[in-house]
This record gives sequence, structure tokens and C-alpha cells, in this order.
Amino acid sequence: MKLTLRVWLLIFVLIFSFLAIAPWKVLDSGVLIKTVNKTSAEYEAGLRPGMTIHSINGNSIKNIVSYTQTISEIFQTAAQQKITLTTNKGEFIFLADNSPDITISNVPASRLKTGLDLSGGARALVKAENISLDKGQVGDLVSITTERLNAFGLSDIVLKPVSDLSGNNFMLIEIAGSTASELKDLLESQGKFEAKIGNDTVFIGGDKDITYVGSTGQDAGIYSCDEYQSGYTCQFRFVIYLSEKAAQRQADLTANLSLNISSGGRYLEKPLDLYVDDSLLDTLQIGADLKGKATTQIQISGSGIGTTQKEAFEDATAGMKKLQTILKTGSLPYKLEIIKLDTISPTLGKEFTKNLVKLALVVFVIVSIVLFIRYRKIKITSLVILTMFSEAFITLAVATLLNWNIDIAGIAGIIAGMGTGVNDQIMIVDESLSKDANRLPIKERIKSALFMIFGAFFTIIAAMIPLFWAGAGMLRGFALTTIIGVSVGILVTRPAFADMVERLGEN
Amino acid sequence: MVISKQNVSNWYDDHYKIVLFIPITIVAICLVYIVGFYIQTGDIMRKDVSLAGGTSITLDGTIDSAILELKLATIIPDVGFRKLTDVTTGRNLALIIESSVSPEELKNAISSLGINLTEQNSSTEFTGPSLSNQFYKQLMVALVISFILMSFVIFILFKSFVPSVAVIFAAFSNIVISLAILNFFDVAISSAGIAAFLTLIGYSVDTDILLTSRVLKKKEGSVNKRIFGAFKTGILMTGTALAAVLPGLLLISGLPVSFKQIFLVLAIGLSADIINTWMTNAGIIKWYCESKNIK
Repeated sequence: MKLTLRVWLLIFVLIFSFLAIAPWKVLDSGVLIKTVNKTSAEYEAGLRPGMTIHSINGNSIKNIVSYTQTISEIFQTAAQQKITLTTNKGEFIFLADNSPDITISNVPASRLKTGLDLSGGARALVKAENISLDKGQVGDLVSITTERLNAFGLSDIVLKPVSDLSGNNFMLIEIAGSTASELKDLLESQGKFEAKIGNDTVFIGGDKDITYVGSTGQDAGIYSCDEYQSGYTCQFRFVIYLSEKAAQRQADLTANLSLNISSGGRYLEKPLDLYVDDSLLDTLQIGADLKGKATTQIQISGSGIGTTQKEAFEDATAGMKKLQTILKTGSLPYKLEIIKLDTISPTLGKEFTKNLVKLALVVFVIVSIVLFIRYRKIKITSLVILTMFSEAFITLAVATLLNWNIDIAGIAGIIAGMGTGVNDQIMIVDESLSKDANRLPIKERIKSALFMIFGAFFTIIAAMIPLFWAGAGMLRGFALTTIIGVSVGILVTRPAFADMVERLGEN
Repeated sequence: MVISKQNVSNWYDDHYKIVLFIPITIVAICLVYIVGFYIQTGDIMRKDVSLAGGTSITLDGTIDSAILELKLATIIPDVGFRKLTDVTTGRNLALIIESSVSPEELKNAISSLGINLTEQNSSTEFTGPSLSNQFYKQLMVALVISFILMSFVIFILFKSFVPSVAVIFAAFSNIVISLAILNFFDVAISSAGIAAFLTLIGYSVDTDILLTSRVLKKKEGSVNKRIFGAFKTGILMTGTALAAVLPGLLLISGLPVSFKQIFLVLAIGLSADIINTWMTNAGIIKWYCESKNIK
């Protein structure tokens, strides 16, 4: 059979889709780095999210299992070890006495990205409390929040502005593998940091007043842990550098303070109070020698508590990290309200994926049987089925190219598209194989089928368009894949299918 | 009497107007039922937590749900349960617990009954009441816009009033019948369910477009023959669509709830479409052809 231009177009698009999805990646081995703690030795050594680890100290790493096994073998003792990581971006060497402060995942089996409801993670839809934001304000909010979450070591995140039919603007946050409580903590505190002497503000969080926030080595750390009441408390401290303007403000404010007599004149009468979101975090006494001086270096301290020393240590570390983040990134411009918060367990997502594949196979078999019973021709039946799968495959490829995560709603959309596709093909086959005595030439009949198909195409597009905006775009995935599916159908697969059926009809 | 094509055709010629009124009566009954539902509940459908606001927790694995359900209902009065079961083995895959309270409150209540909730064994979905309210309103607006856009397309396609209205009426009837059936069985509709209604608008008019184009745009054979030809193609189209949708409802278990709802709405809607296309729409088209003397 001579291939027509339309059939060639279909073949070309299919090859292109294959390249876009890259299913051969399933053969790749190694583990993908998802996040690297910015205050860790690994980060200092140059390790970054997105790299693929191929071996550790010469042991080849195939997947998460071999990674975990290798790491636990290396750190059997608490002694410090030299770690040599071979990645796709080169070799990294560092010393560590514990497993690397990174999170990892298996390398993806293709370029296809699955949504949160299939891979697990947390998602929040956020709006500003009491005010409605315009597009520009939400844009700013997204960039500041991104910075804050990145500073906190969360990099595998999706943040985007979304709007709905009534013109409300929201921020959507998705974090793979994260928990809802973590996300809630990060978002619900606005992170407004203020250092005050009495009622006067000396400096606030953000790079305008603070030029440097210490995070490693001598500049930051937990320095003591003690028993406290029925539990433990651990103290942290870190160094920050103030801008000259902020330092001058401090000098001006301290110039008029007298000495605190009860401390024996060692400190000034008023301390420096640190507030986070209007609640007092800590009070620092100001040394008498700092009176009226523009000091740029300041040591910030705080504490964490717990029932065990380990818990207190972890609490202090988390508290320090949070404070460092706030000081680095400044406060969020608005107090946020979480209006939708979902956590999806990765186990359930895996179960869903497995069952969806099972479903696809069953549908494939049943639809094939129905078509075969009707037409009794292997050629036509397989042509319809092949076209149906080509359509789904091309839709997935387009979604991949658009960097769209395929979620459950998206898969439902693909199935809706496949359903319309099969319907259209049945129309083409029935038109072209009509046995009526007064029938028109095959070209005319296929033309008439294409009229109906275009009609059906425009009605489904018309039906899907409002879903793009309704409900903050939460069902956009469904609308998008349906529209891609039927568009691929009308532009690529349907014309090719019509040509192939025309050939079959002529024969 | 021998049933032949000719007999059927003659019978249809004599009785099609009566046949036409069967589905119209069904639609009328459904409309009355929905109005009654509205008067009783204050809404045209029962909404799930994604549209009414609240928390839904999915607990993976086999759990002795009977005791949990009893105990939880004493702590949280408006709690509701759904089970995901494996159809073949009857094994519980997951338990879905829903309530209008906050996630913390529901989690605490579940934990107080000795069930350890972790991020690994459970999924939580929370929708605030203000958002869900907006969500619902907007999806309804989307549904209306969809319908209007679809009607435009149909008018542009056929350029004549009666056949276009017949197609639009069939789509409307599909929605009304499906909604009445869902209400009757007390199914709580989610946002995915409303998306399925939108799909139904686009999906179910395929067969109506097929019927109207075959009857009005073609000249092969008689009107009855063309209707029957369209019926043969159309019923296969709806049949394959149902073949794609039903396994997800009946054979394969452990699919996401939102997915099942989309399939449920489509299955009911496509079944309703069989009568609305081949009894109502076909009758109107035949009547129209007779009055316009189209042969």
C-alpha cells in the first residue's frame, strides 16, 4: 500500500512523540538527587538537585535500594568517612559522619511527569488573608515564596499563580514527597522579623537590612544542651551582618540609652528584642561598649526544647533554620490563608497507577472485541485500535513537551479523548463502507464523515473551554488533555485514518 | 406476524410520535424530581467534601471499618464513610472518611481510636468552605457556558432551527436524567463529577450530529433508512464508549474515587443518550422531514 502524505505525517508525529517521551530511559540506572540541604557539606562540595548519582566510593548505584544499602554499609560506624560520589555532572568528594543530607528518588523511567495524585506529596491552594490580590501581586508572592522554600532546602516544588472564573488570584504549591504539616508551617507564618529597641525598629528580615546570614562552620550552630524542668533545651546561635544603614540606625538608637545599673553597668538599659510575626522570640542584652556604635556584626540566638536531648537538638536546629530563612528572605508580603490542603500518600498513588494500566488493558480487549463483532475484519479493527493508541501516545507526548504533569484528571481526559477518537473512526468506517446502491463516491462519503467529526470536535472543545478557568484551574488537566487528545485526532490521526480506510474501501 | 425491516419501518411511521413522547415524559418526571430535591435540600445535587467543604481522609489497607465507623460517629456526628474494595477478592483496599470538620480535628479523632495516621498510610484532602462554595458556583457557571457554546456550534453546523433545538434538547435531557438518577441513589457529586457532566455535553451530541447530518444532508434511501443507518453506526459508537467506561466501574477496583465518578456520570449519561437520540431526536427529525417534505 502506498503511503499518503497524511499517513507519513502520522508516522512522523509518532516518531517525534517517542523521542519526546523517551521511554528508553527506563533502562537508565542510578538515583536522582531531589534536594540538597543548603547548609550541608554535600552542598558545599557542589552537589545539586537534578544530578544523577551513579556510584558511591566505587560501588555502583542502580536504584534507591542499592543506594540505601551502600550508605548503610559505609556508615556502620560513627566515624567520619571520605565519600566519593560519581554523578552525571562529575565527581564530588566530601567528609561525612552520617548519611548524606540529601533526598533522592529513582531516575524517572521516561520524560513523562506524573502529577501529585499519582506520585504522592502535598498540595496547597493559598490566598492572602482579608485582601484580594491582583495578578502582579500574586506573581511577587510566588517569587518570594519560591525563594523562601528554596532557602529552606525544598527544591522539588511547583509554585504557580492560578486564577478562577471570578478573577480571584491564588498561589498553588505542590511539593512532591513533602507532608502537609511541613507545608502548613512554612506558609502560615508570614515570617515578619523585627529587631526592636523599645518601640523603635532597628532592622527587619530581608537583604535590605541584612547583608549576610551565617549558616555553617563558626558562623552558626547549636552550642549547648541542658536539662530543663522535665526535658531538655538546646541553644543555637548564628551571626548576621547588617547593612550600613541598619547599623547606623542601631547606633542612633543606642546613643541615648543609659547603662543598666542592675547589671553592674555591663549592658545598656534597654535590650534588643527580636520578634517573629509580632511575638517575642528572644531578648539580647546590648553590651555597654556598643553604645552609639555602628556595629554591623550581630549574633542572633534562640533555643529549642524536647523531652529528650536529641529532640531538643532537632527542635533547635529546625528553629535556627527557620529563623535563618526568614532573615535571608524577609517576610512574605501578605499573611496567607490555606484554603485547600491535600496530602496524597505515595502508596495509594502507586496502587492507582497499577490499576489504571490494568483498566487500559481491559478496555483495549473489550473495545477490540466489540469492533470485531461489528466489522468482522481484522484489518479495520486493528486500524481503529492502533489509531486510538497513537492518539493517546501523542497526547502524552504533547503534555510532556508542555511540561504538564499527568495527574488522575489528566488520564481521565486522555480516556475521554480516546473515546471520541473511536467514535469518529466508527463514523468514518461506516460512511466509507456503506453498501447503499445510490451511494456517493468514497471521497464524498469520507467528506461527509469529516463534516460530522468537525462538528463533534467543536462541541467537545466548546464544552471543555470553561473548565480551564473554573475552580482555580484545578480541573485544567482534564480539560487540557481532552482538548489535546481531540485536536491531535482532528489534525493528525483522523486524516491519516480516513486515507487508510479509503484505500481499504477501494480495495 | 413476521418481523421484517418493512414491518418495523411501517410501525415506526405510524407510531413515532408516541415513541417520541416516552423519553420526553421521562425527562419531565426527572425535572419534577430535581425540583422536589431542590425544595427539600436547598440544592439540585448532593455535594461531596470537594464542593461542600470539609476533610476527606483515605486510609490505605485493610481496616476493621465497622467498629471504627461506630466509634468515630460518636465523636464526629457528620462523619461519612466510603470503601474501596477489590471486586474480585472482596478485600478492602482503603477506607475513605469524610466530614465537614478540619483535617486536624478529624485526624485527632481517628488517632484517638488507636489508628496511627502517617503520610505513608493515608491521604488527606481538605477544602475550605469559602473555596468549595466558589468552586461549586464556578463549575455550575462553566456547565452553563459549556452548554451555550455547544448550542452555538450546533446552530452554526445545521443552520436550521428545529433540528438544532432537537440536538440541544437531547443534550439537556442527558444531563437532567443523569442528575436525577444520581440524586435518587444519593450519590454525592464531586468536582470531577461536574467535569464529567461537561464531557457528557460534548460527548453525547456526537450521535445526534451523526443522526441529523445523515438524515438532512444525505439523499441515499428513505428517511427511515437513513435513520436506521445512523442508528447502526451510533449505537456502535455509544456501545464502544460504554465498553470503555463500564470496566472502570464494574471490573477494575482500586481506581481513584474521582475517576469512578467521571465514569459513573458518563455511563448513566451515555445510556440516557441512547433513548434521547434514537427516540426523541430521531422522532423530531422525522416529524421535521415530513413537515418539510424531505424524502
